[in-house]
Amino acid sequence: MALLDVRSLTTSFHLRSGIVRAAQSIDLSLERGETLGIVGESGSGKSVTCYSIMGLIPQPPGRIESGEVHFDGQDLLKLSDEEMRQIRGNKISMIFQDPMTSLNPYLRISTQLTEAIRVHGDVDEKEALNRAITALEEVGIPDAPKRVQSYPHEFSGGMRQRVMIAMALINDPDLLIADEPTTALDVTVQARVLDIIKDRQERLGTAVILVTHDLGVVAGTCDRVQVMYAGQVVESGDTDQIFYDPKHAYTRSLQKAIPSLKAKDEVLYTIAGTPPDLSKSVAGCAFYPRCPFPKVKEPEGPVPELVELPDGHCLRECGYCDRSQPIEEVLAQDVEEDVQ
Amino acid sequence: MTARTAKMVEGAESRISSQPTADDLEKGSSLWSDAWHRLKRNRLAMISLFIFFGIVLFCVIGPFFSPHDAQEQDLLKGALGPSAQHWFGTDTLGRDLMVRTMEGGRISLLVGLVATLVALAIGVIYGATAGYLGGRVDAVMMRIVDTLYALPFTIFVILLMVAFGRSLWLIFVAIGAVEWLSMARIVRAGVIGLKKQEFVEAAVSLGYSHSRIIVRHLIPNVLGPVIVIATLTVPAVMLLEAFLSFLGLGVQPPNASWGVLINEGQQNMDIYPWLLILPAFFFALTLFTLNFLGDGLRDALDPKSSKD
Amino acid sequence: MNSSSPASEDEFLVLDAVSQHFDLGKHLFSRASKGVVKAVNDVSLSISKGEILGIVGESGCGKTTLSRTIMQLLRPTSGRIFLEGNELSALSDADIRGQRINFQMIFQDPYASLNPRLTVYTTLCEAIRTRHPGLKGEALRERVVELMRTVGLNPAQMNRYPHEFSGGQRQRVAIARALAPEPKLVIADEPVSALDVSIQSQILNLLKRLSAEMELTMIFVSHDLSVVRYIADRIAVMYRGQIIELGSAEVIVDDPRHIYTKALMSAIPLPDPRSERERERILLEDEPSSGDPETGVSEGDILEEVHPGHFVSTRPFDRQLKADRT
Repeated sequence: MALLDVRSLTTSFHLRSGIVRAAQSIDLSLERGETLGIVGESGSGKSVTCYSIMGLIPQPPGRIESGEVHFDGQDLLKLSDEEMRQIRGNKISMIFQDPMTSLNPYLRISTQLTEAIRVHGDVDEKEALNRAITALEEVGIPDAPKRVQSYPHEFSGGMRQRVMIAMALINDPDLLIADEPTTALDVTVQARVLDIIKDRQERLGTAVILVTHDLGVVAGTCDRVQVMYAGQVVESGDTDQIFYDPKHAYTRSLQKAIPSLKAKDEVLYTIAGTPPDLSKSVAGCAFYPRCPFPKVKEPEGPVPELVELPDGHCLRECGYCDRSQPIEEVLAQDVEEDVQ
Repeated sequence: MTARTAKMVEGAESRISSQPTADDLEKGSSLWSDAWHRLKRNRLAMISLFIFFGIVLFCVIGPFFSPHDAQEQDLLKGALGPSAQHWFGTDTLGRDLMVRTMEGGRISLLVGLVATLVALAIGVIYGATAGYLGGRVDAVMMRIVDTLYALPFTIFVILLMVAFGRSLWLIFVAIGAVEWLSMARIVRAGVIGLKKQEFVEAAVSLGYSHSRIIVRHLIPNVLGPVIVIATLTVPAVMLLEAFLSFLGLGVQPPNASWGVLINEGQQNMDIYPWLLILPAFFFALTLFTLNFLGDGLRDALDPKSSKD
Repeated sequence: MNSSSPASEDEFLVLDAVSQHFDLGKHLFSRASKGVVKAVNDVSLSISKGEILGIVGESGCGKTTLSRTIMQLLRPTSGRIFLEGNELSALSDADIRGQRINFQMIFQDPYASLNPRLTVYTTLCEAIRTRHPGLKGEALRERVVELMRTVGLNPAQMNRYPHEFSGGQRQRVAIARALAPEPKLVIADEPVSALDVSIQSQILNLLKRLSAEMELTMIFVSHDLSVVRYIADRIAVMYRGQIIELGSAEVIVDDPRHIYTKALMSAIPLPDPRSERERERILLEDEPSSGDPETGVSEGDILEEVHPGHFVSTRPFDRQLKADRT
């Protein structure tokens, strides 16, 4: 059985201005030692999915409407707050996007690391400190026995993110959820941080969920990928399937819209329009209004289920557009179209 | 964690967009009108606003409908309890307490509003200028504020009284001169925060003049918190006036303010309790409504909830 | 100025040995200086009319300070800046204000760069009238409509406030405002890094089209080499306040010479799993975290021309190649 098995998880935010369906019947599963990339733009529901798994959705206004989150045989959504606390930071940990605000600026790194150890285990202070130093060394912080006594502001952004990783991994969790862990970092630092995550994962067999909007990060790091759009998973599969045989109109458009070092094209492909309003219900296909492919029929009724193809590639097959043509021919090659 | 989850909720909020549908000229809704809509949904604040206007109306036009005159003494009718003829009763000199409460309210409200407006005008311009120009100018301007802060208020007022004699205008000046200091500090802090925002840099790079940037781009954006503070300053000023009158430095008999009436009332509160209770009730009610209104405005104008 | 210098005086925009130093102040008692941060150090450049120059570098490399120095939002500590032969760095603050309509900036954060209290119409009117103070009524309105169409906004929305627009639309408003005074030079400071991927390409295409149509000269500042590669004609790579490599976009991407540029290139994740797997990373040792930010900088010949138009810094580089870790 998979380490993590999420079934039809639905999370909404009940706001004065309406109900925002931030994540709609999300399915995902993850084996030990596997890395799953969740890709999507801001508001696509990727962070909300992770926060729901971690039980960190602010309630209210958030509400987990339905679904199951099976982790290591138990349904996390049925656990009490106390039981959930035992799991967070111990069996499941999380790394956040912003390394500048994720550490308490008033406490030494040593205090924060040993606290993380001692909350979840009966370890004496000296032992905990030693483990903290080892953890810092493992994420490549030079001079760890000395640096462990520093305060967060004495570290650069990249170093702080390494401290965060050390802290997240200090209790050897089974699952690490990394929410845009490198978005705030420079590319050279990003490369180092991703290497560190990969390295630790290989040695400990940790399962990783990597949330990102950067397809490049996914390509180099993940075994499998889920593409999210407007609160739904639109496509999932192993990394090669998603990159070399993308099927959903959104995945295909997105790949063409990123500027690449290799591209020699004069004009970038664009996806017209903006992501939909999640407080309004969508008929048929959320991407339909922006879909560049020739429309076959008007969308109606509920959004189709995610269907698994024989090769394990999952897809929300909608049938409202004709995707037989190559993407290059259908995408807007110019901004003129949305000007007029 | 709260900041992060708040960001997530905010993100969810931003998903609710108002996409343009028609090609007709659309009417935008300014942050001010958004704030007004939010305020309207705050029941406590709206009730307070309603009651406050009620009190203002009562004090301003009430005396015209009363058969009694505030100065008219009738020692034979001294200190009568509330009756059909004198709804609030009369004071020890036989003056109608209702008219005196109304007229006292006029003065208290006038002092509160005028002194606050004075403080607002000076404080906003002074604070915005200091914050925007920064550097040495700011340092000098703020040291002046610090020095004035350090002056003991009562001594300052006594000095003013001695130098210029007693008058209502002097009270405005004295209170305004004290209250603008905190206003200036708040505005300065707000402007310093805003100055780093890119829209101010954009205004600089368009070559706008300093005064244009301060007046059009900075002040409107700090006005939110300033309005909240102003609403809370009005009751503070009224309290100060009551305090001065209590000390005999404020409004002089036969004129009255709520402070004066309460002072008179407490001298006889064992025998004629209505002399204290009735003016004090109106005074307290006004303070409450303004405070609730200020809280409501703070929620309505809070930039966090109005962003996106 | 010798022939191998990347700056020549008859160009559209010329930076001659521009430096921007920030004094950290003095210690309270000892009065010893806390030091000077050399955010931009001795940068010489020239840009010809209609060109798009990309400036790339990681956070703290001085690219933002450089763009604000060119904009005269910060006056340079030393060095000279010429726009069409007119020495901006020599003008008084008052004279600069009259010149500002000639160079405009597009900022990173479209949520912070528009005054939330003004409608799009008011914002654009103000900006248009910096160039045409007499314009009013119907003529002014027409100009606003025209500007909004140019940047792909629906003119029917001119009475809306910034918070009623999405991030991408706000950035279009900011672009329209920058174009309103009909500037000769536009500096775009990370204009797409706050936007979603699918919106990024819309804005990039818009900027590219505008610069071609209006013969705008543009400086495009970004940390993202692939974005800069797409839009720029030439790329300058900055590191610690200095330009360490400068050349045409193709040359910088396909044939980088400086070790730092190579490391930067190899760190960019490619959206292609197979080449990602086979790729060799060039990793550098961590930046020396303490010490003088000036380490490794020496005076003398700054940039050497390895090919016509391709300049590489000859100064010693302070970071070592990291022993293999991948």
